[in-house]
Amino acid sequence: MASRLTLISEGAEAKIYLLEALGTKLIVKHRISKPYRHPLFDKLFRERRTRTEAKILAKLYLSGLPVPAPLFVDPFNSIIIMEYVFGIKLSDTIEFLTTKTICTIASRLGEYVGKMHSLKIYHGDLTLANILYNERTDGIYIIDFGLAGHSTDIEEYAIDIHLIERSINALAPEITELFMKNFWNGYAKTYSEKYREIKDRVYEIKLRGRYIEERLKRRLEHERYS
Amino acid sequence: MTIVLGIESTSHTLGIGIVEKNNSSIRILANVYSKYIPAKGGIHPREASLHHAREAPQVLKSALDKAGIHIGDVDGIAVALGPGLGPCLRIGATLARFLASYYSKPLIPVNHAVAHIEIGKFVAGFADPLIIYVSGGNTLIAIQRKKRYRVLGETLDIPLGNLLDTFAREIGLAPPYVVNGKHQVDICSEWGSNFIDLPYTVKGIDLSFSGLLTASLKHAEKARSKKELGDICLSLRETAFDMIVEVAERALLLTGKKEVLLVGGVASNTVLRQKLEAMATLHGAKYKGTPPDVSGDNGAMIAYTGLLLLLHGVTIEPEKAFIKQRWRLDEVDLPWLPD
Repeated sequence: MASRLTLISEGAEAKIYLLEALGTKLIVKHRISKPYRHPLFDKLFRERRTRTEAKILAKLYLSGLPVPAPLFVDPFNSIIIMEYVFGIKLSDTIEFLTTKTICTIASRLGEYVGKMHSLKIYHGDLTLANILYNERTDGIYIIDFGLAGHSTDIEEYAIDIHLIERSINALAPEITELFMKNFWNGYAKTYSEKYREIKDRVYEIKLRGRYIEERLKRRLEHERYS
Repeated sequence: MTIVLGIESTSHTLGIGIVEKNNSSIRILANVYSKYIPAKGGIHPREASLHHAREAPQVLKSALDKAGIHIGDVDGIAVALGPGLGPCLRIGATLARFLASYYSKPLIPVNHAVAHIEIGKFVAGFADPLIIYVSGGNTLIAIQRKKRYRVLGETLDIPLGNLLDTFAREIGLAPPYVVNGKHQVDICSEWGSNFIDLPYTVKGIDLSFSGLLTASLKHAEKARSKKELGDICLSLRETAFDMIVEVAERALLLTGKKEVLLVGGVASNTVLRQKLEAMATLHGAKYKGTPPDVSGDNGAMIAYTGLLLLLHGVTIEPEKAFIKQRWRLDEVDLPWLPD
């Protein structure tokens, strides 16, 4: 049977191909060498990220989360072959969705991320560009686990949420509040254990940015009352 | 014709610049500055402010002479009210409030970070770039959207310039931090040739450099030769710059911008420029940096941004022109930016 390889997207660190073979569709993710990286570092870097991504995808897929199933891994050539999932990047489509749909997506995403964190896994690059939305099935997929990792530190979980909030704020500032409200509701459903602690940490991370006035005020108050 | 005088004193540099708008063309008439160089250690805010106070009259005079104008010819006084070091900011603000009140000129409040970006866009001729802003006080990736610069990603702890300066200082190479336009870390990198695996911390479009700094300093303690120290400098620089380029690449693909603009003090670094240019070319985007005379802190960028603000009617009463040590880039509404 004929097979075909088509380049469908070029990410920041990898080329994504659609492989049509044996009557089925697969995704080939190839981490490419970068001209700006030190050659010694480049190899180490790509191998490391390929390994992590494959391991984490497997764990999440087996736990029932909506991520593409990894089928074949070659860390030395930095290649992963995985299941084909269909959807449009949320970053491309968020401006055209209805409020109701956005609420549903946010709440469901919250549930998934909560579940992921309860498995002690963080995504590391949870932006709207790494969430696919399928209009027909009304489902979402989380993709690109290149920066993901295992951790029991709530800091990593909080950063995931901080990243999603910032990503929305940059692309559609007017819906950030609504989105996050629904997100947190969903999150609490699947990861109630440390919900409060993580929510506080997300706020703290926000204050950590440079030149934030609120931080200064908070410190002054703290000094005054303690 | 509109002429604006701009005063910069947020950190180590006291700078005064003058720009002129004639019909539709804008020119920098003067850009004079005096930089505080610590005898030892880093910037001492009080020492820096004393330096600014001492130098200000002379810098002002030579800027006016260079532009060939009298203070009376100026249509507005722009000043960087923040973000920056309190004692330093106060010197610039005091001078600006005095000039504005005494000569009855409108006073224009300028955000230092906005000024870095605006002058970069002006010199590059870019309309809508992905902005990479790296300096001693900031490391961030931004785009313009809905009348503001929106921060897509930034450092979660120390900025890039701070990382390089602190490392150079701690290992005994600095001050001076820059010699003949080259940073001490770049000079030291030339002694090395091996790559050491150091903490590489990228979180989405955010970065963290503090782990990298600590690990590099630990390695440096054990270094026994110039070559070993060189290896550490090289690895530190490569790791830090690769992190910046990676987040810039992510942001470029996320936003689909066609222009990449490097601004801020560290924009004068040749290695970083080359890496970013290689990355932009890879994705078919145009890359431009900012020339050294306007990439570091300077008065011209404050004057230029002040001019844009004045043309859009943004001014402030001198008695209300307080300095703002903390004043984020993404808090400032800018009328000339698109919706």
